[in-house]
Amino acid sequence: MSALDVTFTALADPTRRAIVARLALGDATVNELAEPFDMSLPAVSKHLKVLERSGLISRTRHAQYRPCHLERGALDAAADWIEENRRIWTERFDQLDRHLREIQRAPGPREEDRGR
Amino acid sequence: MNDHTPDAAELIFTRVFDAPRELVFRCMVEPEHLARFWGPAGVSAPLDKITVDARPGGVFEAVMVNDADGSEYRMRVIYDEVAEPERLAWTDQDSGMTTISTFTDLGGGRTEVRIRQRKVPAPFRSPEAQAGFATSLDRFAEYLGTLSGHEGGTI
Repeated sequence: MSALDVTFTALADPTRRAIVARLALGDATVNELAEPFDMSLPAVSKHLKVLERSGLISRTRHAQYRPCHLERGALDAAADWIEENRRIWTERFDQLDRHLREIQRAPGPREEDRGR
Repeated sequence: MNDHTPDAAELIFTRVFDAPRELVFRCMVEPEHLARFWGPAGVSAPLDKITVDARPGGVFEAVMVNDADGSEYRMRVIYDEVAEPERLAWTDQDSGMTTISTFTDLGGGRTEVRIRQRKVPAPFRSPEAQAGFATSLDRFAEYLGTLSGHEGGTI
């Protein structure tokens, strides 16, 4: 699996997306992250492990409460991939729009030209 | 299948064209038309390198040439469904991503084209990933954009 595939897999879960959203506001401990969810600490820890393996978050090794930190680079890569795909279709459709206008303006036996 | 229900894990692009549905559909399957618009900005799709066999199991292949440096990229998909003039579906042989295009006659010579891309990318093929993805990827992209300090794009 590519790094991007791993990122998308990690983000495929709504709880993990909510954790990422929370961490975008600042670092947080496992207890702080567990609070808004109706989930046990071990369940939240499991999600954090997936996020950590994907590179989306990191945890301080030595601090007592091991706060979680969002790694924005991995998030940016995922957002960039989606944006790139969107850009390709936008430009493709811009060109199709121009092409359709051109061929409908030019008289041609094959094309319908009603009202133009 | 209901085309209007946003599925899990999919990207959706919609555009309305001032052209009759039959013509818009033909643009998507005839090389002479595809050569005029298929490559995004700055990329050409030369006519002699476009192959279209528009039937289920048939291939749609195009070589995309970067206008700036001449580098090439070959796109190869296999049609899953060809229902002229309303629906076209294919699967990319490299990524496994499925693209479904629906063509809706809006009346007055206008046509809406809706592109839905599924299984984006490989991990979404797992049932676990599919089940977990409650919001559409497309909307999540905008959301990610705000988180990363980028602006979410719109069509």
